[in-house]
Amino acid sequence: MTRYVMIADLNRCVGCQTCTAACKHTNATPPGVQWRKVLDVEWGEYPEVERLFIPVGCQHCADPPCMHVCPSTATGQREDGIVTIDYDLCIGCSYCTVACPYQARYKVDKPEFAYGDTPTETEAKRFDERTMGVAQKCTFCSDRVDAGVEKGLTPGIDPEATPSCVNACIADALSFGDIEDEDSNVSELLAENTWFQMHAELGTEPGFYYLWDKELPQELQGDMQGD
Amino acid sequence: MISPQTSFGNALQTQWDWRAAGNFMFGGSGGALIFMAAIASYPAAPSPVVGLAALVFVGVGLFLVWLEIGRPWRFLHVFFHPQTSWMTREASVSLLLFATTLTGVLFQIPVLIVVAGLSGFLFLYCQGRILRASKGIPAWREPSVVPLMMITGLVEGTAILFILLIFSNGEQAWLMYVLMGLLLGRLAGWQYYRRRLAADKAPRGALKVLDGINKPQVILGNALPLLLLAVATALPELMKPLALLACILGTASGWLMKFIIVARAAKVQGYALGKLKKGRPDIKPPVRREKDKFVFSRD
Amino acid sequence: MHAEVEPVVKKVSTYCYQCVNGPDLLTVETVDGVATKVEPNFDLKGEHPADGKVCVKPFGLVQKLYNPHRIKRPMKRTNPKKGRNEDPGWVEISWEEALDIVAGKMNATRAKGIMDENGNPRLAFTTGGAATPFKYMGSFPALLFAWGPFDQSLGAGGTVKCYHTEHMFGELWHRAFTILPDTPRCEYLISFGSNIDASGGVTGVRRHADARKRGMKRIQFEPHLSVTGANATEWIPIKTKTDNAVLFSMLHVLLHETPIDKLDVPFLKNRTASPYLVGPNGFYLRDPETKKPLMWDNKSNRATPYDQAHGDPALTGRFTVTNAIEVGADDETWRYDSVEADTGLEKTKRLVSDKTPEWAADISEVPAETIRRIANEYLAHAHIGETEEVDGRVLPFRPVATVLGKSVNNGWGAYECVWAHTMMQVLVGALEVSGGMLGSTTHVAGDTDWERSLTVEAGEDGFMTHTFTPTDKEGWDANPFTRHAHNSLTPMGGNKMGAQLFGSTTLAWLRLQGRAAESWPKPNPPDVWFVYKCNPAISHSETDKMGDVMAGFPFTAAFAYTLDESNHFADVVMPEATDLESDQLHRIGGGHYFENHWESEGWALRQAVIEPLHEAKDFSWIANELAKRTGLLEAYNGAINAGVCGIPLQTEGYDFSLDVTREHSQDEIWNAVSKAASYDLTAGREILDLDWFRKNGFKTRPYSRLNWYLYHKLEDLGLRFELPYQERYYRMGRQLANRLHETGVHWWDKQLEEYEPLPEFKDLNKYWDEIIERNHPVKATDYPFWLLTGRSMQYAWGSNVGIQLMKEVADNVYGHDGIIMNAGKAGEMGIENGDLIEVTSPVNSTRGYARLRQGVRPDVVVMIAQFGQWKMPFAKDLKMPGLNALVPMNVDSLDGGGSSIDGTKVYVTRIGAGL
Repeated sequence: MTRYVMIADLNRCVGCQTCTAACKHTNATPPGVQWRKVLDVEWGEYPEVERLFIPVGCQHCADPPCMHVCPSTATGQREDGIVTIDYDLCIGCSYCTVACPYQARYKVDKPEFAYGDTPTETEAKRFDERTMGVAQKCTFCSDRVDAGVEKGLTPGIDPEATPSCVNACIADALSFGDIEDEDSNVSELLAENTWFQMHAELGTEPGFYYLWDKELPQELQGDMQGD
Repeated sequence: MISPQTSFGNALQTQWDWRAAGNFMFGGSGGALIFMAAIASYPAAPSPVVGLAALVFVGVGLFLVWLEIGRPWRFLHVFFHPQTSWMTREASVSLLLFATTLTGVLFQIPVLIVVAGLSGFLFLYCQGRILRASKGIPAWREPSVVPLMMITGLVEGTAILFILLIFSNGEQAWLMYVLMGLLLGRLAGWQYYRRRLAADKAPRGALKVLDGINKPQVILGNALPLLLLAVATALPELMKPLALLACILGTASGWLMKFIIVARAAKVQGYALGKLKKGRPDIKPPVRREKDKFVFSRD
Repeated sequence: MHAEVEPVVKKVSTYCYQCVNGPDLLTVETVDGVATKVEPNFDLKGEHPADGKVCVKPFGLVQKLYNPHRIKRPMKRTNPKKGRNEDPGWVEISWEEALDIVAGKMNATRAKGIMDENGNPRLAFTTGGAATPFKYMGSFPALLFAWGPFDQSLGAGGTVKCYHTEHMFGELWHRAFTILPDTPRCEYLISFGSNIDASGGVTGVRRHADARKRGMKRIQFEPHLSVTGANATEWIPIKTKTDNAVLFSMLHVLLHETPIDKLDVPFLKNRTASPYLVGPNGFYLRDPETKKPLMWDNKSNRATPYDQAHGDPALTGRFTVTNAIEVGADDETWRYDSVEADTGLEKTKRLVSDKTPEWAADISEVPAETIRRIANEYLAHAHIGETEEVDGRVLPFRPVATVLGKSVNNGWGAYECVWAHTMMQVLVGALEVSGGMLGSTTHVAGDTDWERSLTVEAGEDGFMTHTFTPTDKEGWDANPFTRHAHNSLTPMGGNKMGAQLFGSTTLAWLRLQGRAAESWPKPNPPDVWFVYKCNPAISHSETDKMGDVMAGFPFTAAFAYTLDESNHFADVVMPEATDLESDQLHRIGGGHYFENHWESEGWALRQAVIEPLHEAKDFSWIANELAKRTGLLEAYNGAINAGVCGIPLQTEGYDFSLDVTREHSQDEIWNAVSKAASYDLTAGREILDLDWFRKNGFKTRPYSRLNWYLYHKLEDLGLRFELPYQERYYRMGRQLANRLHETGVHWWDKQLEEYEPLPEFKDLNKYWDEIIERNHPVKATDYPFWLLTGRSMQYAWGSNVGIQLMKEVADNVYGHDGIIMNAGKAGEMGIENGDLIEVTSPVNSTRGYARLRQGVRPDVVVMIAQFGQWKMPFAKDLKMPGLNALVPMNVDSLDGGGSSIDGTKVYVTRIGAGL
């Protein structure tokens, strides 16, 4: 069995948004839609302040709330854990969007382009009408992964079989791989580091792990700020 | 220790706006209306006016949702996932509700009205569960949102029924007592719901919004109608205007509450750090929808 | 339904050199001839320190191609009146006409004489981005060379926005135009505002992430919690412009609270001038015969020349020396039969004797115990005495470094900081050794910017050679050659090819405004001004006044991508092919800038991913056309042959030179360069042509890590780092003072004071307040905030503020949509997050939305750099304020090297609620 997961090492991430931009290139998402992005957050009170960069996006949960609520069965899940959306089934009700605790889903109702109503040549070339009015989110670049696997490549190791955000990450903060494989890059990272899953208490079993080693002081609990 | 509840980025969800809220506001009232009407008229069938009114409410709600969805002409896909989706279930129940109510009141068939009443109740329940299943919105996923949505629906349905009966001179004083009971229940549900949210560290923004309508909810939405109804039972000559006012207040406040919960207090979960762990995690296999029965997947 | 045609997908290798950390290689995918996406170049995995990745900026290049706001064909101005509020009345013209106009102006100018009546070049060329635009200009530099003298003094921000003082002194001391820690080995790094995680490029980011993972501690002193501070072990919110105090107190801890044997004594004795004896007039005591500086030998108990066999030179102390001379400015000589003298290190000790951590704490608001702890941790991590073998050579291993950010590096106080942080390295022997602090690139000391170790040669007094602009009577040039008078005023810039770039650009603009150098004639504007890939109208200081000056220029030719604030004043704009539409072969790897030391080196091709859109033209084509029209073709081709395109086309080993008498297409030019480069790289084994590079992208060979360091080079030559005492600098300053006073120049006296042999501490906050009050009718106390700026990795140097994608992703990083200020302070002032606020300096005010954070000092506001546009499409609608409009320009704020700080004192007022 294979279960693909992603790891973000928060000790490495510098919030540069190269992954964000790479994702936008790979997936040709319209302005404002960021399947992958990096949060820039801080907590504490001057001068005792922590600033942290946290990559977020679809967590490809083992038990994804979005899939359960989806009335059209557009949201599905592959055997390898990748949560999928069938653009041709989706009715665009956004139920999945409110069910997702990770703000990972977007819906764009009408064509939107970088510079107003007229698409640039790239945008015109890559515009996909099927994405209008339906839910969209990170796919873990499943098409890349599948194409790579077909060529006998290893996702997370060979760039051709690896999600583009991971490929692009200049701090080597993002990793991707098969967590079922005990010897994989991701299994090793998790075995060697402390980590957390976001909102694990909601029972979603996220397929996204964050390497981090600092604990928040008690008095700062509940006092994080962000946009 | 990092609190898993500690979160940031609790923006207001904007995917479900007033149109979605409209379904909860009016659909809930309509479902409850047919439910209460079925009880009130039992063992007979209610008047067509009452039944049609219920369908108008439910229909308006569903129409508003239809306006909101991105691919309206694929609306039939909404029925594809009854195994786990409360939205599919709500839509399915609404079909039953429409069919039985319409035929029940037009042809005055009491057994269909019983089914219609039950489907109205079920519709109400589905609506509560729709919210509860929304894990991304702390103000919705709180379990007590289900009884709250249902009881406010019942308040509204009862109040609307009472208004309709007043105008059709089909006085049913006992409904006033039911309404008083439901108002008390709603008051308790509202307070309990907010307490639970605060205890679960729901986003501060959401609590603030709910706190913002607390006074009008308690006083104008529940206490004043209760008082008016109490006076109305004591002063039969003023019953109609007082009860009418109470019903309007009770219904409007229910709608306001639902609008606020759906469209204003719906701050998203936000992001958070989690509890630190070490070592290779226990890996849960993907749940996979393919294990659902009756899969409509095209792949 | 129509049959689906299989799209033609191509992947093209090219490079990004939008910032000095380049070139980094990338691939661009095209589908049916349309560029679609950017990806790293994984072929470089293992060779490139970051495995062939590129940062966020090149992802904007695809949108840059298809940006509808591009200038599509040449345009000329029809409204002769120039001004910010004047419509230039652009009309599109043919390239033929545009080139004829420009060449006509050039020819007319040449006919008048290359130099004007003031002796300044009539032609001026301005670019920005720390010279990275040259990596995009193809063969155009050859045209400039062919032209003859041209003025580069009209800078776009250099000396205000660069590491000016480090450039000057870094090269003198260790060939470090910029400095870097040996991050892959460093254990303890003290950073004074170096925002390396935003400015260090792909390699910098990757190396620091790896180092953090390895356990490197990074201490970040900075008034605000920058991107880099975020990932630091410790963020210390130091009071603005007090870094010199903390650095001095750290030196105090090492020199007065630490036994000297805990320092790197062999390094100090043998590789520095610490033991050199300093006479009563401040110059080295010298042997009367050889004129060599003297040291005190503890063994023989007498003074000996530095290079004579000696047992044990004294590092500290005061000694009585017999029979010595002192040579001062203009060869003034003092002879002593007997004289008291301190060692250079003794002088240094004395300089910081009262600079205790407690003293610094009062000034910097950094607790004394923190300073003391950090200094001691630094010492403990220095591993003094340990060595490491690098490619067969044993080097000291000293994994500690101190680095400075940009704002610490220019203006008053920078000399203290640059000197003190280099001394931190010197005391523990961590300069140019494994794990320590290294340099990168040379522009002052030599022109071989790709291999600085080639500039290590034995010079006078046991130091490396270093050529300053002459200040002696015979050599000094009383006539400013450029409008910023680099040859007359700022001798530290040297006299090599890049010397002009180290003059005071602020002074050039001030002089053109008639606000400086009153004893000299006001310079004429250049007859022809070329502007490329820069935006001085908003990127320099006191920007309101910049436009007025530029409006007075008789002829400005701008190479332009979109309309912007500078080409708004141009006469002709010419659309050059953008990054993905043009060709250029360039060196990669080796030891370039900041953290970009590789273990391989070679050449890479930047190539057109698609044919240039609209009528945009490759720079080499433009250069060819202008060369023809100006009759300079032969000289232009000659310059290309001589190596202006990166490598000579003819050497003893090969000849790929161009026939100088005829025109060569850009392909011919780069084909010849490709062959020369590959021949040179492979020692003649392979001759690769342009087509090969088009297909393969790059060619590399191994580059020894030993080349990262200079220690062994100095050891081999028996040389010393020219520290701690700055005798040459001091002498040069005295001589410069003599020259200036002899010619009646007294307006540079304050700057001359900086030529101290050891930098005395200055209270810079007080100093700045005095400058404000002297130059403006205001009270300094009315300006309680420091306005600072912060690096944006997404925007810096990219000329990409008009790119929507960059805006979108940059907005995820705090401060890109407003002005950062402390939340607590804002609360006191009644300012809420998102409120519209006005920030006012003594010269201007600007508005933006308050972005409240805890991670910023209450007395600081921060505006992320690169904004303030009022003309550039898209960018102007961002309504993002820029700091430049508020930063005053005046001679007072210039330091001895002609640089000034990139910040100002301001006050803040709330205007109203936000959007």
